[in-house]
Amino acid sequence: MRPGTLILRAVLILAGLVVVIPLLWTLLNAFKTNADLLVGTPKLFFTPVWDNMDYVLSRRSVARALQNSLIICSSAVVIGAVLGVPAAYVIARIKNRATREAQFFALSLRFMPPVAVAIPMMVIWISLGMYDSRIALIVTYLTITISITIWLSVPAFERVPIAVEEAARVDRLGPYATFFRVALPIARMQVLSAIAFSFILVWNEFLLALMLTTSKAKTLPIVASEMSQLGMNVPWGILNAAVVLLSLPPLILLALVGRGMNTAFSKKSPQD
Amino acid sequence: MATVECRSVRKSYGEHEVISDFSLSIEDHEFVVFLGPSGCGKSTILRMVAGLEDITGGDLMIGGRRVNDLDPGDRGIAMVFQNYALYPHMSVRENITFALERAGETKDMIARRLAPVVETLGLQVYLNRKPTELSGGQQQRVAIARAMIKTPEVFLFDEPLSNLDAKLRGHLRVEIARLHKELRSTSIYVTHDQLEAMTLADRIVLMNAGRIEQMGTPEEIYSRPATLFAAGFIGTPGMNFFNLVASGGKLTDGEISIDAPFPLSERPVTVGIRPGAISLVRDGMPGAIPAIADRDEFHGETRLLSLTAGRQSFMVAVPASVRVAEGEQVFVSLAPDQLHLFDTESGARIDA
Ligand SMILES: Nc1ncnc2c1ncn2[C@@H]1O[C@H](COP(=O)(O)OP(=O)(O)O)[C@@H](O)[C@H]1O
Ligand SMILES: [Mg+2]
Repeated sequence: MRPGTLILRAVLILAGLVVVIPLLWTLLNAFKTNADLLVGTPKLFFTPVWDNMDYVLSRRSVARALQNSLIICSSAVVIGAVLGVPAAYVIARIKNRATREAQFFALSLRFMPPVAVAIPMMVIWISLGMYDSRIALIVTYLTITISITIWLSVPAFERVPIAVEEAARVDRLGPYATFFRVALPIARMQVLSAIAFSFILVWNEFLLALMLTTSKAKTLPIVASEMSQLGMNVPWGILNAAVVLLSLPPLILLALVGRGMNTAFSKKSPQD
Repeated sequence: MATVECRSVRKSYGEHEVISDFSLSIEDHEFVVFLGPSGCGKSTILRMVAGLEDITGGDLMIGGRRVNDLDPGDRGIAMVFQNYALYPHMSVRENITFALERAGETKDMIARRLAPVVETLGLQVYLNRKPTELSGGQQQRVAIARAMIKTPEVFLFDEPLSNLDAKLRGHLRVEIARLHKELRSTSIYVTHDQLEAMTLADRIVLMNAGRIEQMGTPEEIYSRPATLFAAGFIGTPGMNFFNLVASGGKLTDGEISIDAPFPLSERPVTVGIRPGAISLVRDGMPGAIPAIADRDEFHGETRLLSLTAGRQSFMVAVPASVRVAEGEQVFVSLAPDQLHLFDTESGARIDA
């Protein structure tokens, strides 16, 4: 191996470790007792305990937040997909002024700082009397899920060869059948990844949830963060357990569609 | 079975007119090949026949019925695309039967129609594979099967062999010819490859810049090209052209001179002659033209000599056994009955 390659490898491994070690540390600490946690030299070997997880899972606030998060995020993602995927198909296939503007609008939503959405949304929901409701958060999150789904699905549909859709037209498929039976199945891996990614984004979303909820509709990230607001006496074990719990759904999704997500973000077409 | 007729068909993309006034009548059972250089509008016309491209003006008739406004699926056509255009998410079997399923055919019926098609194209072993697991030639066979099973009135092919390597192209070309013999469906076949056109066509429609340059059987176009373009496009190696002036029963450029095959008024003419119609002769033969050998290409059975005579350079095909050294002086004679004369300005053929 040439020295240059060797150095690059080393840098890569180092960068990987920088990312992975804190995560592993969190995982380990979620299963330590306070006595094991608060020692001068960190312990790698210890007797794991389920206490922290137990504590987190048995809290009423966590249970409710988990329920909120699941309902709010999956509703926003499902509605976002139902609206966003067909929109992406139209943007990919019909190129005109209107679709170009729509695509740019979806993209521009991604560039907008969340605070710019949060404050007006807060005012709107308060005046509608729907502040701190699941509906309010679902509708607000739709701006995220729809735009992400569109943004990442357009290239997926653009990669479906036009000739294949033309063959479908010759085979007597109308526009809807062409979409459901041909374009969507061909693009499915990347479209699924786009939807999964939109789920991860809203699942982790913090700022909007913080500003649009106070008690009833609080999501998991909010409740998890509240656990650290207990003054100087930080319950590290519990905090880590909450973080682990919070990270599980995105990690599972990533494992399921990670490969597709990689192609969704790269420009290479899987069919060439 | 059906006839296809284009009546003054036009096509514009916005301001840009690609096809201005295209009229053509294709008979039942006929195999017509659209031949022409890339970008001349062959695919555009084929796609208008298929219904994949809107027709800007004129009438398109299939089987005597005006079909301008019908969907591709309702025109009784089937199409084979250059890049196969198979459904990548379906097995070979599903690819072939998809249209029948959509049309609501019974399982029984589909199976009965699938068998002979699969048999003809030798696809039995591939039925459960995905298209990506097949070679290009096999994929195009599947695409042909998908077209065949619909028993269309008109088969449309858009450069179906262009993505294949030379050997496979030859095989599949023979297969397409055999299929047409069996099925006898009206077919339109688009290609830029003259060999495909010559071997497959009942009739070649030679196109250039959105217009029909010449129409006729392969023999007619080869032996009596109607224009300079047709003469230059058809035939490998290509026809030689000499820019000469007709005067006093001779065609001459001041250095070389040949007898005019028929009386001509005094004017510039372009004389075309195929490399095989020129022969090497001994010095002193009447009408022998002296020339210098520039290059010698070995082509297997023949050798292709590049020669220069005065201002004119041209190619001569000779048997491979003939050896000529570079720079050597030779004498050639042009077969008088194989001269093609064209008006230099308009490019139109001049006949006696
Ligand atoms: N969608 C389009 N928009 C504008 N011009 C087009 C379009 N499709 C084809 N053309 C033009 O039409 C002409 C004929 O194209 P085509 O029929 O594809 O040629 P061929 O198949 O003979 O190579 C070309 O000059 C091409 O640039
Ligand atoms: Mg073409």
